[in-house]
Amino acid sequence: MRTTIQQPNSPQNGETFQFKPELLTLSRTWKPKAEEGRLRKMIFVWIALAVIVIFFMLPIAYLFSTSFKSPVDVVDGSFFPNAVEAENWPRAFAQVPLWSFMRNSILAAAFSVFVTLGVAVMATYAMLKLEVGKSFLPDMILASYVAPPIIALIPMFVLMQKLGLLNSIAGMVLIYGLMNVPVAFWLMRSFVLQVPKALDEAAWLDGASYFKTFFRVTLPLLYPAMIATGLICFILSFNELLFAQAMTFDSDSRTLPVGISLFQGERRVNFGQMAAASSAGIIPVYFIALFCQKWLIGGLTQGGVK
Amino acid sequence: MMLLPVLAGLGAFFIYPFVYLIGLSFSKSTLANTFQKWVGWDNFDWMFTGTNFTSSIATTVIFAITVSIVQLILGLLIAYLLYTSVKNGRVLRALILLPLMTPPVMVGIAWKLLLSPTGWINSLLSQAGLIEQPISILGDQRFAFPSIMLADTWQWTPFIVILSYAALQSLPEDVFEAAALDGAHARTTFFKLTLPMLAPALLSILLIRMIMAFKTFDLVFVLTQGGPGGQTDVSTYTIWRTALQEFDLGLAGAQTLLFAIVISLVTLPIVFLNNKAEARL
Repeated sequence: MRTTIQQPNSPQNGETFQFKPELLTLSRTWKPKAEEGRLRKMIFVWIALAVIVIFFMLPIAYLFSTSFKSPVDVVDGSFFPNAVEAENWPRAFAQVPLWSFMRNSILAAAFSVFVTLGVAVMATYAMLKLEVGKSFLPDMILASYVAPPIIALIPMFVLMQKLGLLNSIAGMVLIYGLMNVPVAFWLMRSFVLQVPKALDEAAWLDGASYFKTFFRVTLPLLYPAMIATGLICFILSFNELLFAQAMTFDSDSRTLPVGISLFQGERRVNFGQMAAASSAGIIPVYFIALFCQKWLIGGLTQGGVK
Repeated sequence: MMLLPVLAGLGAFFIYPFVYLIGLSFSKSTLANTFQKWVGWDNFDWMFTGTNFTSSIATTVIFAITVSIVQLILGLLIAYLLYTSVKNGRVLRALILLPLMTPPVMVGIAWKLLLSPTGWINSLLSQAGLIEQPISILGDQRFAFPSIMLADTWQWTPFIVILSYAALQSLPEDVFEAAALDGAHARTTFFKLTLPMLAPALLSILLIRMIMAFKTFDLVFVLTQGGPGGQTDVSTYTIWRTALQEFDLGLAGAQTLLFAIVISLVTLPIVFLNNKAEARL
């Protein structure tokens, strides 16, 4: 027997066109009285879409554009540089240890994803399928998601200090790994509920243990959900500032957002170099956003609406 | 057994912090030297009388409610436009996803460049003849708070677009075909049919967004540092400053507790109501 879990992509994909006779009648009775109105509507749609795209691209475009401006062009106020100057990029990399910030960010985010998934997937399964903890535990997790992270900042700072994990990537992995568990629970929830219970029961009847059932039967069905959840948690960790800012002190453990926020706080920073450093820091997430779009949108919508 | 890690996580990230914060808030504590002595309600007294923390909480609540409602309306309109007027919106949705993925620090820097006295917006305004001298938008009492809201809206509206789009896709099509056959006007269909059917999903989306908006820190950290004159002093930023700039952990503990209570009062009742409504469906 094969059971597949629905892949997180839009329902339109793979849907075949269905012929609907009523559409034919409609099109026959359709009088192009509104030809002009349709044209007007199309123009309106195109203008609206253009405004939307321009609004959402503008700050990023300006950031990239500024990264190619000479110090004279920066104060000029025009959108594009008068003369393209690529110097800012190597200078930014020379001024701040961007490579190590990027390495730290990627390491912290990637390993934290494994911690999060390791904790959250089994727990979600146990809570929803085996109904351990009734509704109390899910409610607790929900409450801990509502609570702002600043609550955990000071206590975790002290805890990390005692564990000797302050100013280390391992510490950030632990923090992010645990911090994203409620998000992962939230995203995994509807996927786990979609796994038919009959499947587990069949495995139990055959004498498989809870653990064996989980690893052999349920887990493979959850891989797509785990990829989507993992990607979202990766981006959340990669972008995080508050904890990283408080708990990392040098370039061996500082993450990109911290490094760049400190760089921009300096008095004598050159706007062009700042823009170049920020642009460089954006590239990894945009890479993920463009190539894993399907997973990201699937994950976000599963967690959000259902 | 399977739950052990999650229980440990909840303990470390939720229960332990609360117990620890309650302890801190009744003690004189600095970052270097915690629990010097018990001081009773002193930290709370000082928070209400000697600091501006209540106004910081008001700022946060106004911020969260305003941006989540504005973004819900904008996001829903964009999603509706994409859903009704664009056949294959994959490229568009990929572009719209980018702001959401951008690290908030970089969002802050991009807007800081745009809004700076030498930035493009100032040059636009002066070309339009609206201003004579370049103005410091982020340093102005009138514009700083709306600027933070603008940057936040830029980043988070795409989130609502994606969720509303999915909600629109999940609506049953036959109802709309029936409405079209009956000759219903597009506007009537939207207000009488689409909106009521979407309402439960929209409520959840609004809630998620509002909860996130309460946590705002990065944009304020990069754009205004709480200024000018405390206009943009959201609570997370205030608490961060009390703890890690002024090192007064006792006061920071009291502030955090008050903040947590206010957030719970605003959101938790609706969250659980929403869950109950969902369970009944």
